[in-house]
Amino acid sequence: MPQIEIGYRPAHSLARVMLQPNEQILAESGAMVGMSTNVHMETQSRGGVMGGLKRMFGGESFFRNTFTAQGGPGEVLLAQALCGDMMTLEMTPQGYFIQNSAYVASTPDVQVETQSGGFKGFFSGAGVFILKATSQQPGQVVVGAFGGLQELQCDGHLVIDTGHLVAWDATLEYSVDKSGAGWIASWLSGEGLVCRFTGQGRIWIQSRNPGEYGQAVGSMLPPRKG
Amino acid sequence: MQPQQPPAQPQQAPAPQPSQGAAAVAHEITHGPSFAMLRVDLQPGQTLVAEAGSMVARHDHVAMDVKMNAGPGAGLWAKMKAFVIALIRRVIGGETFFVNHFSAPEPGSVWVAPTMSGQLSYRRMQGETLVLSTGAYVASVGDLDMKMKFGGLKSLLAKEGAFFLAISGHGDLWFNSYGGIEAIDVNGPYTVDNGHLVGYEGNLDFDIRTAGGGLMGFIASGEGMVCEFKGQGRVYIQSRNTATLVEWLTRIMPS
Repeated sequence: MPQIEIGYRPAHSLARVMLQPNEQILAESGAMVGMSTNVHMETQSRGGVMGGLKRMFGGESFFRNTFTAQGGPGEVLLAQALCGDMMTLEMTPQGYFIQNSAYVASTPDVQVETQSGGFKGFFSGAGVFILKATSQQPGQVVVGAFGGLQELQCDGHLVIDTGHLVAWDATLEYSVDKSGAGWIASWLSGEGLVCRFTGQGRIWIQSRNPGEYGQAVGSMLPPRKG
Repeated sequence: MQPQQPPAQPQQAPAPQPSQGAAAVAHEITHGPSFAMLRVDLQPGQTLVAEAGSMVARHDHVAMDVKMNAGPGAGLWAKMKAFVIALIRRVIGGETFFVNHFSAPEPGSVWVAPTMSGQLSYRRMQGETLVLSTGAYVASVGDLDMKMKFGGLKSLLAKEGAFFLAISGHGDLWFNSYGGIEAIDVNGPYTVDNGHLVGYEGNLDFDIRTAGGGLMGFIASGEGMVCEFKGQGRVYIQSRNTATLVEWLTRIMPS
């Protein structure tokens, strides 16, 4: 398994993945900052070109690149777009749910699938969907946050703003709900949608909300012409 | 249902209503100075008031009610005024004047974070008045009265500083800054850029004016409006300025 080190935490974290000969790492498209010349990059085309197009039109932009060290050891440097912390999750038998924009990279044995169903429907407008990461073997997933990363232990019930979610143990049950008692109260409360967790497990949250930040800054910008 | 990492706060007492002399509510500020987040551990009877939209997480048994931020002592007229302003702001964007009230029948935690990158500050209010700039208020516990304050006609020229929030009373107060926060103990005159002003103690006098003097100075200096403080008291300033960020982004945006 490649060795992953994360530097420049927590504000401008950068993941350094050290690959042994023929070892691989998969990373979110656009995450690569630098790599050794003997590392070969290949764009994953699950389902071929048509499959890729279909997923693009479905509102998904989840494409990954595979990096392979050829003829010797090599390294890949990975970063996310926004300022914030990153961490490595060691795979567990149950696996993890990951908010799509938090995904940075994973080792090749980790299966990363897009979750369909209620969650996806609720979020499709905001471009947010949920990934499920599972692995039969040891593996690692690198996730990134907007802001600081905080681990919360769920012992029963926790309610979390969907914009602050990073990842959680797949042992937890979750459902997406309005934040308040009614839709008007939810709108006024400004909390939007929340995720209700039930059971035992860990949840990682980010201390800033990308959507909220985009709205706050975006609303102050002049309207785009054309 | 225990919050993670219970804070070591020896002075924490299960005070039903923190008032004068009561212990501060148990809380912890983490991830500062860039991405500060606040956790408040509520005891039964305590109510956390937090800026609408600032909740990150809460225990499920902590109830959330959306309220208008008119303060407990506000009369009907003040409430109506606050409601109209709140509605306008909710629609056009910017800081809302709605707040969420969090309370729990058994101990429970609420996590709260501001929108912009930066620090959170805590202040134990003991009867004094603190005036905060738009967007600086994050959360509070206790018997605090909040009043909207108009910055004067001149303040309308500047992008910030048209409205202030005057907070007075006894309780716990958390406010945020875009970037780092610096407390300056003013003794005599002191000038602060409007966009960098987080708040000031109510006993200070201040005057809003152009930095460079005259209309040309206002346009050419790039400094916009400044607040000139007089007297003795504390001023809080932030190391970044939202208006400057927006100007910078606007210049590089494709047209």
